[in-house]
Parts: sequence; C-alpha cells; structure tokens
Amino acid sequence: MSSEGSDVDFYYDDDDEMIVDDDEGSAISEDDMDGIDTYRDDYAAQPSSSKRKIYEVEFDTLPQEAVEGLIRKDVEYISSILGVETDAASLLLRHMNWNKEKLIERYMEDSAAQSAKAGIAPVEPPPAQIPPSSSRSSSSRSVKTSSAPKRVTRRTTAESALKAKALLTPEPSVEPESFLCPICCDDSQPKTLSLVCDHKFCADCWVHHLKNKIRVEGDYSIKCMASGCTLIATDSFVTSTLAEEPESVERYKELIVRSFVAANKALKFCPYPSCTYTVSCPNAATKSALTQMVPTVHCATESHKFCFGCPIESDHRPVICGVAKMWLKKCEDDSETANWIKSNTKECSKCQSTIEKNGGCNHMTCRKCKYEFCWVCMGPWSEHGTTWYSCNRFDEASGIEARDAQARSRASLERYLHYYNRWANHEQSAKLSADMYAKTEKKMEEMQITSNLSWIEVQFAKKAADELFKCRMTLKWTYAMAYYLQKDNEKEIFEANQSDLEQAVESLTELLESPIEAEDIPVLRQKMTDKTVYVQKRSEIMLEDTAKGFLENRWRWNVNVDGFEPATVLAD
Amino acid sequence: MAMESARMRRVKKEILDCRNDKSSNISIDMIDDNPYHLKGTFFGPEETAYEGGRYDVDIVVPESYPFQPVKMKFITKVYHPNISSASGAICLDILKDAWSPVLTLKSTLISLQSLLCSPEPNDPQDAEVAKHYMTSRESFNETARYWAQIYAGAPGKGGGDASAAGKEKEAAGLSESSRAIALAGLSEEHVNKFVDMGFGFSKVVETLSRLNYRGDNAKNITNERVVEKLLE
Ligand SMILES: [Zn+2]
Ligand SMILES: [Zn+2]
Ligand SMILES: [Zn+2]
Ligand SMILES: [Zn+2]
Ligand SMILES: [Zn+2]
Ligand SMILES: [Zn+2]
Repeated sequence: MSSEGSDVDFYYDDDDEMIVDDDEGSAISEDDMDGIDTYRDDYAAQPSSSKRKIYEVEFDTLPQEAVEGLIRKDVEYISSILGVETDAASLLLRHMNWNKEKLIERYMEDSAAQSAKAGIAPVEPPPAQIPPSSSRSSSSRSVKTSSAPKRVTRRTTAESALKAKALLTPEPSVEPESFLCPICCDDSQPKTLSLVCDHKFCADCWVHHLKNKIRVEGDYSIKCMASGCTLIATDSFVTSTLAEEPESVERYKELIVRSFVAANKALKFCPYPSCTYTVSCPNAATKSALTQMVPTVHCATESHKFCFGCPIESDHRPVICGVAKMWLKKCEDDSETANWIKSNTKECSKCQSTIEKNGGCNHMTCRKCKYEFCWVCMGPWSEHGTTWYSCNRFDEASGIEARDAQARSRASLERYLHYYNRWANHEQSAKLSADMYAKTEKKMEEMQITSNLSWIEVQFAKKAADELFKCRMTLKWTYAMAYYLQKDNEKEIFEANQSDLEQAVESLTELLESPIEAEDIPVLRQKMTDKTVYVQKRSEIMLEDTAKGFLENRWRWNVNVDGFEPATVLAD
Repeated sequence: MAMESARMRRVKKEILDCRNDKSSNISIDMIDDNPYHLKGTFFGPEETAYEGGRYDVDIVVPESYPFQPVKMKFITKVYHPNISSASGAICLDILKDAWSPVLTLKSTLISLQSLLCSPEPNDPQDAEVAKHYMTSRESFNETARYWAQIYAGAPGKGGGDASAAGKEKEAAGLSESSRAIALAGLSEEHVNKFVDMGFGFSKVVETLSRLNYRGDNAKNITNERVVEKLLE
C-alpha cells in the first residue's frame, strides 16, 4: 500500500469498464436517466454524497487483481533484497505470513533453515555428511542470486542450476524407459513432473493432487506427493500444471489473496458469498481507532455493506463495535426473559382483544374498540403524536427509588427490557416496513398503468421505504448505545436526537402505510417527499452528533468499555 | 472417468501386491465383493500387550483416492490411547493431513501396527484410556492384554495354551462381574469396596473408570471424592 499510484490506476480502470458494462446491460434509456436526475433533485436538501461525512470512514475498494498486484510488489521486493527467484520469494513470504521485515531478519540469520521451512529446499542432511569441495562452494555463491541458495549446494553448480530451473518450471520430461507412476499405477503416462526434490509422478496425478488440495481442502501450500517430502509447489509449478484447469487456478489465486488480506490489518475481504473484492481501510486498522468510529464500508458492489471492525452487523452505526458486541452478548444471555416481547401479538389495554401487528407503524388502533395506543409502551397514542414523544425514555427515577435488592434487580431487568423492547421493535418494524413497501409498490404499479403517471413519479414511496429501513436500523442501535450511556447531559442530548428521529420515522411510516388513491398521488408525493427529507435530516443529526461525540471523547459509559476510562457511575 | 479407472487400477494392484507379499503378514480382503470397502488384517506387534492378537480393520476407499486418505477404523476392540474403545475410530496423522498419495493400504496398515507399539497419549482419541496409560502403565498394559485375549484372540498370560478352547475355558472361569472389572482395567478389591457401601455395581465401575481409579493413581483419590461422584 506504499505507492498508491498504481492501485488507484487499477481501481479506476476497473471502474470505467464497469460503467461500460452497465450501459450495455441495462434497459434504462437516456430519458429515464434524466428522470432519475430530476427525481434526485427532490432530495437536494441532502448534501452531495461526494463529500465524506463525519460518520463515514475513508476506504478503498480493490478488485482481486489489484491485491495480486500488491502481492507481486512484495514478492519482487523480497526477491531483489534476498536475491532469490520470485517463486522462492513467494513461498518465503507465505511461510512468514507476509511479514517482510520478519522474513528479511530471519533469512539473514539462517537462509537454509528458512528455505527448508518454507518448503523451497529439501531439508538438508547434517553438514558433516557433505564432503567439502572448494569448487562447489565458490561457484555456488555465483548462482545464489538466481535461485534459492541451499538447494544449489547439493549438486555441482552448472548442472544443478540447470536442473533447478528445469524443475521449477515444470517442463514435462519424457522418460526414456517406461515409467510406472506410483500413484495411478499406470505405465503409459507420457509426461512426468516433479519439484526440485525430483520425486517424479505422472502429470495427470499432479493435476488431480493440486485440484483436490485447492478445490476440496482450500489449501494453497501444496506439498510434494512423496511421503514425508516437505517441498511446496511453487506458483509457476501450480499455474503451468493446471494450465487446462482455469477455475482451479482462479481459486488458487483467490486463496493466496485471502491469506495476504487476512495478514494485513488494513485490508478485509468482502464477506458476501462468492465476492472477491477487498476493502482497504487503514484508518480502522487499529483497536484504538475502533473506539472512535464505526467503519461501515462496502465493496465495489454497493449493496455489499459490512463493518470493517467486526462481524456483528453490516451497519451498526451510531454505536461502536465494542459496545454493540457487549449489547448483543447481553441480549443473548437474557434472551429467555425478553422473549415475550418479540411476540407479534398483544392485548388491547382497553378491551383485551388480541391485536396483531401487521405493519411497521407503532400507532395502533384497536379494531374492536377503536382505542388508539402505542405498540411499544401500550400507552394512549394521544400522549405521543402531538405532545412530547416520551416513548424512548426510561424513567431512571424508578431505579433510584428501589429500596431493597430484590426491587433493584427487578428495576435492572425492567431497565434492560425497556431498551431491549425498543431495540427489538425497530428491527421488527424495519422488516415489516419492507413487506409493507412491497405491497405499496404493487399498488403503485397498478396505478401507473391506469393513470397517466410515469414510472419515475411513483418512485417517491420507494425512496421513503429505503430511508425508513435505514433509520430504523440506526434507531435500533441507538437503544443499544443508550442502555450503556451514563446518565448525564450528553445522554440527554443523545436521547433528544433519538426521540426526534423516532417521531419523524413513525410519522413517515404512518404516511407510507396510509391508503393510496390515484388522484391523491401528486399531494401524497409532495407530503412524502417532504417527510422523507425531514427524516434524512434527523438521521444526519443523530449520526453526526454521535460520531462527533466519539471523536471528542464526550460519551461516558455506565460499564467499563475497552479503550475508555473506567466507568465512574455504574448502572444498577 | 479417467480418475475412476485410476482409483480402480490402483486398488486392484494394491490388493494383488498384498496377496503376493507373504512376508508382511498383512491381508486385505474385499467385503461383499466391493473393491472400495475392504477388511485389512494384521497381528499385534511382538513384545507389546497386543502380541498374538489378530486385528481386523474396516477400510473405505473414498472416491478421490489416492488424493484423499482412506478411512480406517478398528473392527476388533482395542484398548489403546489413540483408538476409541467404543467405536474403533483411530487418531493417526497419516489418516488426516499427513496423508500422501504415495501411501498405500498396506503401508497404512503397517502404520497402524506400529501405532500399537508406540501410543501417542498427548494426542488421544480415547481420553479415559489415555489417562490410564499416563498414570499407571503396568495396570494399563494388563488391561490392554486382557482386551487382546478377549477380543483379538491373543494367548493367555501363562503362554502355553493358545488354543480357542483354552481361551474359552479361561474366560468361562471368570464371572460376569470379574470380566467387566478386568475389561475396565479396575481391581476387584476397589470395586467391591464401594459396592459394599451399597452402590450399584455398574455405577461403581463407570465412576471408577472415569476417575481413573487404577494402580498408584487410586491413592491420589479420596474415598470422599469417589462417593461424591457416585452420588451425582
Ligand atoms: Zn500417475
Ligand atoms: Zn518431493
Ligand atoms: Zn462484495
Ligand atoms: Zn463493527
Ligand atoms: Zn380494544
Ligand atoms: Zn409509546
């Protein structure tokens, strides 16, 4: 990653190609493209996405070839510093888990031992057994630059250099007498191959062996087939032997790239299945960095979102990895007590008839008695919508008032359930919103056919649904964070922001779920667009202020969190 | 297709080679005429607790053989740290990552034979047997020898009478409970001590085995501890 020029070139070249591909493959015409631009203008209140926001982390996307380029650079560097062939340099680097400095140091100490350990040269017999020969030792030095040194000392140089070359690049040697392959027991195989150890097997068996190791075992350091032989097949041996097996070669390269990426803290392989992109995010490479930011990244495929710092959830902003992890652990431990909350049905607090939640909105109306209430707290809705939306706050006073230990533990459970309830509810609502949107979309499509609305004109609901999903996920994680925040002024500001976002989200959800008539669409569109912009604004404030708080070290926790000062006021 | 025939050619040749080689005393036979499901047989190595025993091994040749290792497990019950006393499963490196396509069924069976000579208690398959081996070697050897007699047809301690009838007689001479105690590698005296306290016989045998209440190790375990475990 030292010289960025070439990586960037790689990246942009690839990008250009992708755009060309898109044009060829996509059915959207020029007119439609214009439409999308105007549609985007509706949301001009949003700052342009080209500028990085405070809660976003800088990162780069590297296609597999770009990482291969980085590997090549390291291999060439080691090859020139240590004076070994690139094949040997590659094996040495792999053996040292891609640590160049450590490799150079160890190799300088004992090149023979390192070569043997890396599987480049056969393990040497004890030195006493090799008869001294002045001619060999002097000439062996001369070939040191072109091949791994130890392997050369075993034979006379001219011959061995030749031989080593021939064996490294597996030119098939035609056996003069008939050759019985000890593996397939076939004596009619025309080609034999071997590594520098000279253990010969037929080419066919080598292909099967390499394929089996790569495809079945996911191994890229493949030993010679002879029992007890420690030599490892070089890159050129593998690629030339598998010349007719491009898929296996691709997999082999991917395995090497994965090992290189895994050894580099600033790189992460995209976790989505069969994706081969790598994300580079040096700013999130240290443990301490993860106490100051949430590194949400994605590969070249924008929907492949993931957290660079942890495998918990693709986007757990605004709460940092460590606290998110603590929260999930807590939920896992307490899952049984909290289970009932997840249930999809509740009883109306007025008439006790069973009510099923079928949308993401928390404003419920009992079908039987028409009582309007909040799904989360079961309180009357009248206290929510117009006046102060107090549903996000847990009344800590009840915790303070608790006198005896039993009451305290009950208060502690209630405190947890308060946050868990809201956390789980937002997750569930996010999912239900997506279902709800699918229904709305179908309706819109029908309308598009019966009315004179364009495809673009009915897209406002999609934008709203997408935004709602994102904000519900953010809200979900704000509850995990609030559970651990120490009660102080900062937490109050945090909860005020949370409450504002929550109200905006509930109001937009309600609008999205309201019945749609074709003639109302222009009005609805204006209303929904305005509300969506407002939700975006509230979400920006929430994310920005929390991210700033981490950078300014403003947040205080009620438990000890790694990388923070010990908590002074512990919860319960 | 080519792969399939290579596997067939190789297995057939291996079976034939083994049949022609009388010196190794190892045999490989097909089970139900299936060349990929075989039974290997060898004798327990000399000067070990397994000496004179005849060991049958179940062999399954996988589809990608010889690029993948063969699957082997003991059919004959064996008392050995690296062999499961219940299932016959084997813990041996060449049956896993140290496998090489040049290894053969015969060479693998020879490796099993030498595994009987040199147990690797630090990488056990059967933790209880390994504990027994580590703490009281003499008692372990006695139990292994008893298993060899009972399950592998090894001659009795006295040596002389190796005939089947002789073994039958010897085994018949033991009561059901003495046999169970010997198989578990425990002593009658120890078992009876706790049975006399009123605990069930099989519960006592199971608990004492688990605690490795054998040889010198028995001195390290208090009666209270055993009773506590028996009451669990
Ligand atoms: Zn072959
Ligand atoms: Zn070799
Ligand atoms: Zn991806
Ligand atoms: Zn994370
Ligand atoms: Zn009701
Ligand atoms: Zn409420």
